[in-house]
Amino acid sequence: MQNLSATSVPGVLLDLSGVVILLLAFACLGSKLFNRYVAYYGAQSVVLSFAAGVAAYAFGSVELWILAGATLAIKGIGIPVAARRLLIRRLDLKRDAALSTGLSTSLIAGGGLTAFAYLVTRPQLLPHGLVAAAVVPLSTAVILLGALAMVVRRHTVAQLVGWLIVENGVFLGAITLVATFPFIVEAGIFLDVVAGVLIMLVFVSGLTRELASASAAELRELQG
Amino acid sequence: MMTLAFIVLAGPLAGAAAAVAGARARAAGWASAGGACVALAAAVWLVSGQLHRAPLRGLGGFLYVDSLSCFFLLTVAVVTVLAAVGSVGYISAEEAAGRLSGFQVRLYYVFFGLFAALMLASLETGNLGLLFVLIEASTLTSAALVGLEGKATSLEAAWKYVIISSLGVTIALAGTLFLFYSASALHLAPDLRLTWPYLFAHAHALAPASLRLAFLLAVVGYGTKVGLAPMHTWLPDAHAEAPSPASAMLSAALLNTGMYAIIRFLAIARAGLGPEFPRVVLLVFGFLSVIIGVLFMVRRGNFKRLFAYSSVEHMGIIAVALGFGGVLGLYGALLHTLNHAIAKAVLFLNSGDIALRYRTRESAGVRGLLAAVPLTGAALLLGSFAVLGSPPFGLFLSEFTIVRAGFAGASPVLPLLLLLLLAVAFVAFARTTTGMATGDPPGGDVGAASLYPSRAVGLAAILPVAAGLAVLLVLGLWIPAGLGTLISHSIAVL
Repeated sequence: MQNLSATSVPGVLLDLSGVVILLLAFACLGSKLFNRYVAYYGAQSVVLSFAAGVAAYAFGSVELWILAGATLAIKGIGIPVAARRLLIRRLDLKRDAALSTGLSTSLIAGGGLTAFAYLVTRPQLLPHGLVAAAVVPLSTAVILLGALAMVVRRHTVAQLVGWLIVENGVFLGAITLVATFPFIVEAGIFLDVVAGVLIMLVFVSGLTRELASASAAELRELQG
Repeated sequence: MMTLAFIVLAGPLAGAAAAVAGARARAAGWASAGGACVALAAAVWLVSGQLHRAPLRGLGGFLYVDSLSCFFLLTVAVVTVLAAVGSVGYISAEEAAGRLSGFQVRLYYVFFGLFAALMLASLETGNLGLLFVLIEASTLTSAALVGLEGKATSLEAAWKYVIISSLGVTIALAGTLFLFYSASALHLAPDLRLTWPYLFAHAHALAPASLRLAFLLAVVGYGTKVGLAPMHTWLPDAHAEAPSPASAMLSAALLNTGMYAIIRFLAIARAGLGPEFPRVVLLVFGFLSVIIGVLFMVRRGNFKRLFAYSSVEHMGIIAVALGFGGVLGLYGALLHTLNHAIAKAVLFLNSGDIALRYRTRESAGVRGLLAAVPLTGAALLLGSFAVLGSPPFGLFLSEFTIVRAGFAGASPVLPLLLLLLLAVAFVAFARTTTGMATGDPPGGDVGAASLYPSRAVGLAAILPVAAGLAVLLVLGLWIPAGLGTLISHSIAVL
């Protein structure tokens, strides 16, 4: 992937997908409804699978095609549908009230983190003129925004979505920076994400049963 | 040799298979203990066969066992045996008392086996990407163990653990990504660009800017699993809420697996960037962890939390030793890893017995242990003094080595600070544990032998504690030639 220039058609498409993915992360950060978190995450994953498809086309890589398909099926459709059925509808979640900062504050902080991502990754790491130089700061910003969402949101479902956004950011960086990890590794990462979501679904349901609401703000029992 | 490497992985799965097949607590427990023994035997055989030979490679670099992996394999395999035998006692007693259902017991053995096998597997791979995959998978399986009891507090601890560790390990994945990228000038096949021996051999040719970022991200990411401050916040909760044998596995095996990943990145960073940058990073995180660990040990409360903060402290000591560097520092770090693993396994397994008898995990509720249950009380005292580094136990030797490595460096300030912190830790920790051991027992059935459903099961509860203490004593007086050679070879790898 090192030699894909930023001005080639696949390069422009990848760059564009990166921007849309970042915008969707911002949209998630600026929203208060559980439905929207999941919808934005799903949309982000669909764009990500499109980006993986572009990279697969540019490199003629079968493995990347498989990954693009798996991303669409699992992250774009499977996880959002499961989250909607098993969490949002069953637990009747609507508005997220467990924010530790206001929406505007977290959006401003998100803007700051994006600038920081550009500052850190752009000048020293990446050669100019390649698509990676444009997309890696974007993916770093997505990682930081996901982490920010996990920090300012105290509801367990929101934290879960935050982690998934971080993971999407790493994946975006991976497809542009290094084309692909060895296939076994990529497949393993995928399995980990799926298993992680499953086990977190169990915990969220369990916590909801035990506490009145599954907000991590009420997880105050263990301190010190 | 390759077959042996796979037997090591398959051993711990025996208990999981038995539990899936529907075995009851005791049968699954014995299967798990037997499997762990098989794994340990295979690991010893593998290590002794590999001792003077070139590293074992196979499967395109996915399988790679050198002296360093051998050392950690041995440590984790020993801990797995101790914890698996201890599980027979603890889990059977919990089931007999009706606090765990048959389903929970089966879940426990399934995840315990998977957890052990995944950690051993992560030590046997030379591919840093696969290392991430296996470590993240071990996080998920152990989270199931933490949340096993299904109470609000254990679910809370499990949630905190899984979300913080997953985020941390994902950051380590970003570090792995930048390492992969830093190798892009090397014209290696993509499969080899994540393979540790190749990266290490070509470390000087890696792009320094992205290598520096990669190392930092890896220390922060895997440091979350190790419990380095300030990423340690999940650790005391998870250790306090997990069933005691699972706490032993977390503290004595999982933290070391994370440290192993950091050591792999450290070796590449030192070769590629020179010793100064990694040294500063490790000393900062190391001292921060020792300070935080010691400060929280002063507080009295849940004794499993006390042991957990002691783990934070000891992981900090190991990071400091790696930062001091030199042959002495690395030797001390590895020796301390083994000693701490055994001592902490002993303490947590013993804490299981205490928690079962007194029905509390608060140290204020435990009095007169020596009078009521002399064996458990003596083990608590001996284990505490061992973990605090008093002679003649092994930790004295390794902490002494680490401090000496510090004085061999430029300034005596850091080793003196370390000594001071160790002294504070000694007072804080011993104050709580001696309080638990002495005094008048509360009466009732605290000392009753009927706690465990049968004599063999009761023996399984006390046997690993006694065996661990014996090993610690031996390691304090005499380091077997094979172990010494293994550690020296591991240092040579770095």
